[in-house]
Amino acid sequence: MGEDDRHDIELHRLVSARERSAFDELYRRYARSAYGVALRVTSQDLIAQEVVQDAFLALWRAPEAFDPTRGAFRSFFLSLVHHRAVDAVRREERLRRRTERAANLEPATGEDPAEDVVEDAYLRVRRKEVRAALTTLPPAQQQVLEMAYLDGKTQARIAEELGIPIGTVKTRTLAAMRKLREALREE
Amino acid sequence: MTEDHERIDEILAGYVLLSLSGEDAAEADRILAEHVPSCGRCRATLNELQAVSGDLALAAAPVDPPETLLPRIHRAIDEVPLAGRTPRRGALVAVAASAVALVALGGLSLVLGNRLSDAQTRAGTALEILSAMRSPGAQPVHVTPQDETPPESGMVEVSAPDVRRLYIAAEYCPEPAPGRAYQLWLGNDDGWEPVGEMFWPEDGVVLLELEVDVARYDEIWITEEAAGPPPSEPNTDGPSWFGSL
Repeated sequence: MGEDDRHDIELHRLVSARERSAFDELYRRYARSAYGVALRVTSQDLIAQEVVQDAFLALWRAPEAFDPTRGAFRSFFLSLVHHRAVDAVRREERLRRRTERAANLEPATGEDPAEDVVEDAYLRVRRKEVRAALTTLPPAQQQVLEMAYLDGKTQARIAEELGIPIGTVKTRTLAAMRKLREALREE
Repeated sequence: MTEDHERIDEILAGYVLLSLSGEDAAEADRILAEHVPSCGRCRATLNELQAVSGDLALAAAPVDPPETLLPRIHRAIDEVPLAGRTPRRGALVAVAASAVALVALGGLSLVLGNRLSDAQTRAGTALEILSAMRSPGAQPVHVTPQDETPPESGMVEVSAPDVRRLYIAAEYCPEPAPGRAYQLWLGNDDGWEPVGEMFWPEDGVVLLELEVDVARYDEIWITEEAAGPPPSEPNTDGPSWFGSL
């Protein structure tokens, strides 16, 4: 566990003790990454803001949900954001289908303002590691991972869209996750 | 066995990516409830896959949120002050007073769910419901009596998206006709899925807890059906309760 992970755990401990300044510090550290992934998954800024707001409120109201013995705070919190973003996008999608409104959502803007955003050095380093690890995956594995994680699609839907058996989607997903696990393993 | 663990790993990988549906999602629930807690290998695998899943968020470009977001979060925090701060049990006790509000909403009955063991007391489940109601974004949904169904038998649904659970509470639920039972359905564009038969307690106070990905559904319907295996479609005659999730 690195120094930054330990600092996160200390901040989390202070949040559990209702220290607003520690909460603000965690916001400063993770809001950009959280908003980035929420925006990428939902493609809608208002929904992405709600997702991030709900995630930070959940952290404030139920800090005990994070168990430091099970991994880094970073993973816990960004998973929470991702989970809420996927839930939001699926709800929106169903609502849109049900009301038969025409889809008028812009796709993810595709911009990559990472270079313009100021973030902590360790997050920048980790981000580079994650992106580098992703590039080592075979394109077919990268594709299913991106469709599942960033597009919030189910394996059944991915299989349908790619015209491949769902078993193949599962195999590719597991192979990709195992490779990433090895590449990103932290001491 | 190796083969089993390969299959389990596939399910866990899909689970941490939130990409399971249908039978795979149900299998994940079963594995997480019945196998993972007692298997050190799978617990470690799940933790590692969850760590990868968290880091995958960094694949998306970071974006500065609007400057108004943090003040908005502060306001939301200040609007709902926390009562005491002892985690879990203490916190649950602290919100016990909210039970009155829930009952007043239209009834408290926890319906027996898929995995509610006999050992769990109703009080425990009631406390879980109260805890779920405290979750950010949790919104109680009225599951209202339809047609000739007694109007005083309204139910309330509360879901907790983070833990993929759904709760139903009703203060008074009439006894189903002889040989019949209440069936819970969840619906989306693909149709209605029978979720389970609701246990009817003699006092009519029902408490229901289900492990289910609520985000997959839009509507909830409780119907009276012949006891036994569920039919393929909900019965449109007889008492029923309906709500939009």
